[in-house]
Amino acid sequence: MEKKKEELLTLAIESSCDETSAAVLRGGREILSNIISTQIPIHQKFGGVVPEIASRKHIVNIMPVIDECLREAKVELKDIDQVAVTYGPGLVGALLVGVSAAKSLAFSLGKPLIGVNHLEGHIFANFLATPNLEPPFMALVVSGGHTALVDVQGYNRFRMMGQTRDDAAGEAFDKIARVMGLPYPGGPRIDALAKEGNPMAIDFPQALTEKGNYEFSFSGLKSAVLNYINSEKMKGHELNKADIAASFQRSVIEVLVGKAFQAVKEAGRDTLVLAGGVAANSGLEARLREEAEKRGVRFLYPSKILCTDNAAMIGCRGYYQALDGGYSDLYLNAVPGLSLTDK
Amino acid sequence: MSILAIDTATQVSSVAVAKERRLLSELTMQGKLTHSETLLPHIESALKMAATAKEDLEGIAISIGPGSFTGLRIGLAAAKAMSYALNIPLVGVSTLKALAYQLPVPGVRLMCLLDAQKGNAYVESYRWEQDELQVVETVRVAKISDIVAAAGKLDEQVILLGDAVQKKIAGKLELPANVRVAMPHLVMPRAACVAMLGQRELAAGHVDNVMDLEPVYIRRSEAEVLWEKRHPEEAKATKPTEEM
Repeated sequence: MEKKKEELLTLAIESSCDETSAAVLRGGREILSNIISTQIPIHQKFGGVVPEIASRKHIVNIMPVIDECLREAKVELKDIDQVAVTYGPGLVGALLVGVSAAKSLAFSLGKPLIGVNHLEGHIFANFLATPNLEPPFMALVVSGGHTALVDVQGYNRFRMMGQTRDDAAGEAFDKIARVMGLPYPGGPRIDALAKEGNPMAIDFPQALTEKGNYEFSFSGLKSAVLNYINSEKMKGHELNKADIAASFQRSVIEVLVGKAFQAVKEAGRDTLVLAGGVAANSGLEARLREEAEKRGVRFLYPSKILCTDNAAMIGCRGYYQALDGGYSDLYLNAVPGLSLTDK
Repeated sequence: MSILAIDTATQVSSVAVAKERRLLSELTMQGKLTHSETLLPHIESALKMAATAKEDLEGIAISIGPGSFTGLRIGLAAAKAMSYALNIPLVGVSTLKALAYQLPVPGVRLMCLLDAQKGNAYVESYRWEQDELQVVETVRVAKISDIVAAAGKLDEQVILLGDAVQKKIAGKLELPANVRVAMPHLVMPRAACVAMLGQRELAAGHVDNVMDLEPVYIRRSEAEVLWEKRHPEEAKATKPTEEM
């Protein structure tokens, strides 16, 4: 007997960067398990993720993580109906471990395979966080390597409003944190420091702010902050790191907030969701919430665990993609430079 | 015992299905597509050609390295997941030993060289003694030109095998009188050899743990080596024991 779609069990795998994760979902929204093995402590001493080391950890972690996610979900592998896996964007060597394992599982079980775009996964984390969320809505995606505004018109219908031209917001956070001598990962450290500083202390630039432009550029801001730090050092001034962090973060946040609500208005949406690793930034979340209240827009963002790279969001995206026939064949390859596109 | 064998240690993608001491099918390719794309379709084809259902497999043998780090991980991730899903044992076979297994020539030193980048190779030497492959020099990393020069000083016949031979030696280096290279169709890894060696291991009860099996890298990542150079004191305190 054919299972009802709400009963479908999806096994999902995510290995695009420095977390190995596996999850089981029942239907599109019920998380039975979501196991995440993070490598952050391993990469800390190198000041960033080392791709070869990440890949070496993934190949060791992948089976224990899958095994644990099935045990926690109290599901037998043979009862799994489909296998979803992140195939990009990310580090190619890291992606390949998950992709290869997922293909082999799907083949061995005789079950369909679903290749998932990691960034779409981040957007779909919101469906897990907010059970009654339905399209359409506007999504602001802010992750390590990507910044984008996506009009989510349906589960499988996206319109790109705009994305980053050069550096993503997350890259700027990491680079500036490194120059200020903050340990990896830099984003949360800057967020914490910014709370102690004066956001109006230094006037850093905001790029592409003209109306109707939904593209992002953070390389100019990054250079301005680096130049400021260098010139202060040359003058022999002691750096006020808290003020730098607060002022830099304000510039990033104002650009993101401004464009996000412009897009909400233009597309006629009543809901804005935040997605991606930088969604854990408390300053960004607070400003978006404040602005949303002022404008009467519903504002949603996933819990911290669903903001990080996790397989549950991949399972959720995979489930809805499969409803529309979005399966992959056994030739599926990792695509490290995969981007968000219209669908 | 029906067994599936996989070798993705080099640019050759090779899968084989064997039953008892008989090779049922083998698919060995050196093409333009990546291992990631072709491995599973090749496994599917090799099983079909061997008229063997995946459910009838009783073991998996994986060429465990050394070799291309990414290639090894693609093969191992697939092998582990399959072993787990089909609930059958998995065993790792040395990529170097499987190479030597191609040439059943007694009285000759078989030197297996796998590309280690920047003019280097992982090299291990074997000799057949009473129908068994014996290691005569264990694996190390050395400059390819030095390996060939040293082979020339041995007072025995030497045959060179491996992807480093195809890439850097055959037709490119002048060889000493006692050294020759394996023929082009025998110089690269083949899953058939992995299958035969793996079958013996499994029959002898040697099984690897799917939960923690790693490729044999020999080398650590460049980032780790660099970090230790810059932090000699801390490195001494946390010296990993994984190095071979």
